[in-house]
Amino acid sequence: MSTTTTTRRGQGRPQSRSKRRVEPVFYFFLLPSLVLFTLAITVPGLVGIFFSFTDSIGIGDWKFAGLTNYIAIFSDPAILQSYLFTFGFSLITVLVVNIIAFLLAVGLTSQIRMKTALRTIFVIPMVVSGIIIAYVFNFLFSNSLPSAGAGSGISWLETSLLANPDLAWVAIVVVTAWQAVPGALLIYIAGLVSIPGDVYEAAEIDGASKFQQLLKITAPLVAGYVVINIILGFKGFLNAYDIIVGLTNGGPGTSTRSIAMTVIAGFNGGDYAYQMANATIFFIVAVLISLLQLSLTRGRNTL
Amino acid sequence: MSLKLTRTLRMAVLALCLPLLAGLLSGCTGDSGKETIRFTFSKREAIGFMTKLVADYNASQDETEVVLDTSGVDVVSASFVRGNPPDIALANYNMETARFVQRGALSDLSGTQASTRIRKDLQPLMDQYGSYPDRTSALPYSIMASSVIYNKEIFAAHGIEVPKTWSELLAACDALKAAGVAPFYGTWKDDWTVAQGWFDYSVGGQVDTLDFFEKLAEAGTGVGPDSPASFQKDFEQPVGKMLKLAGTYVNKDAASRGYGDGNLAFAQGKAAMYLQGPWAFSEIAKTAPDLQLGTFPLPMTENPEDLRVRVNVDLAAWIPEGSKHKDAARDFLEFLYQPENIEAYNKSQLGFTPTVDADAALDPRIEGMVEYYEKGHVYQGPSVLVPRTIPIMNYTQALVLGADPAATFRTLDADWARLAFRQ
Repeated sequence: MSTTTTTRRGQGRPQSRSKRRVEPVFYFFLLPSLVLFTLAITVPGLVGIFFSFTDSIGIGDWKFAGLTNYIAIFSDPAILQSYLFTFGFSLITVLVVNIIAFLLAVGLTSQIRMKTALRTIFVIPMVVSGIIIAYVFNFLFSNSLPSAGAGSGISWLETSLLANPDLAWVAIVVVTAWQAVPGALLIYIAGLVSIPGDVYEAAEIDGASKFQQLLKITAPLVAGYVVINIILGFKGFLNAYDIIVGLTNGGPGTSTRSIAMTVIAGFNGGDYAYQMANATIFFIVAVLISLLQLSLTRGRNTL
Repeated sequence: MSLKLTRTLRMAVLALCLPLLAGLLSGCTGDSGKETIRFTFSKREAIGFMTKLVADYNASQDETEVVLDTSGVDVVSASFVRGNPPDIALANYNMETARFVQRGALSDLSGTQASTRIRKDLQPLMDQYGSYPDRTSALPYSIMASSVIYNKEIFAAHGIEVPKTWSELLAACDALKAAGVAPFYGTWKDDWTVAQGWFDYSVGGQVDTLDFFEKLAEAGTGVGPDSPASFQKDFEQPVGKMLKLAGTYVNKDAASRGYGDGNLAFAQGKAAMYLQGPWAFSEIAKTAPDLQLGTFPLPMTENPEDLRVRVNVDLAAWIPEGSKHKDAARDFLEFLYQPENIEAYNKSQLGFTPTVDADAALDPRIEGMVEYYEKGHVYQGPSVLVPRTIPIMNYTQALVLGADPAATFRTLDADWARLAFRQ
């Protein structure tokens, strides 16, 4: 795969040199998104980083505070816990989502009845807004499950999962996965469909069982898609916010507060500069992760 | 080709600019030349009342059009950060609003007619949150007193008197429990219900919060086991009593129930006592309009002289410095403070009117608190005196769900010291 890329690049270079002038209209196409990106992301980002070195609460008088906010953050157990929670939650959710989505995709691309109808049903959670899903599940966890537990005499079901500080994260993983599986599923289906049928035929002739085919043919050939799904998923779960707000609002206690939630809490609770420092650290962490991701996937998934 | 391109370009530029221009124009004025002011109102339970009052005001004159904004408090603070605050607000007065006050983001209201009619003895309640030099930044609009809400019918059916001491309270709870009635209804899924009811009533009933928070502010970064006041030293014992009540005398499913569930269940008589403020009455009345309810301060000591009720400035009026329509907003403010309006509001919400000429509210449901309120046996809840950036509500929720009090209060002390260090 990497060889084709180099040759393509080798051919492209002299061509672009001979025809240097790019149609100006292409720059023009770039302009709106460039302006919007600068105004909506870059400028506020820089302003936020600037204020992370002050004692501003977002309004009124403020003065420079040097590195005070950063020093305070590294001794703040609430913030450390939010990082631990967010990363742990993201890792587990990414595993759960990918295993379920992959197995579903294998099922939905094989010769089964009502394939199209089933695919449609499985994709529905993707189009419902996260906060709505969260509130519906909140009701299920707090009312339906406990009353089912009381009715059937299963005592551990009677208390809501959301009220258990040690297990509330499980509920968040379940609901997040429920919403995130369809997206990963679609990518896996696309990957599975792109595998040519003759490799399976050859395997069949060689006497490989279905399970061996799944392990030895399907899995290696969709590896690129697995990487994409894991990276996209992980990145998304790090920003977890709406589902947690709707389900536990960070509770019970502070056990399920995500990084995004602590940052927003500073915005609402008059701790702007401090949480901007937190956001800056989170930004640096995210950049590090993306660099890692780039170095891991370079040349592997040229989709 | 080039001509065609420039024409395309020109068309595209035009297409881009038109919506921008339209946006600019529409920002200027509304129709018919009325000045529009945005009025933020944070009291969910009274939206109906306020909608009508605003409509009355809009109909009474034709210079100002007041737009009611009920999108809530969080949105308001974000709007300050964006530099687009409301023109006037009636909002809960707490540590968060206090920050706007301390940093001078609210305009001076001392010249208004309304400010001259505010009861002077209420000023400490406002000042406890700090002030800005030479300014009256906010005016109280509605004072709420809260304490235990009890179901008079259940108390009478089991022959229980209103308890005045801690041991009487325990005896009453035991009697109710023995009769198969849940003494308290807990709604711990909503952390604020734990903080304002369970935590505030039990700590406020035992600790002098005014003095405690003064000492705490003085200690600043030094707050810890050796400072004159600290959460771990002063709160652990009162909270121990709270945990005794919370661990023994609540409905079984307290951990999974929220505020809405609680109002419904209490209206259906599923518990005898409910640790909520008077705002819950109107919600309970939706289900059981004729239920006989009363209030009494939660007794936490053996001395009836210690009985006190929790008060808070439920609504205060303020006009941001950043408003572009201050004069119109002040006109509307005077309208809000006209005796018939402010008194009707407080009557409808079971609040106490903070103006000098107002009559004491006498609704049977809050009668049990009037005596303490008038004698000044009141306190502001500790949960509202902790800056909002410290997740005190989450901590109190963790406590009733079984977190270790000693560890929780050590964290709280460290949070306080860290905040003092950076601000």
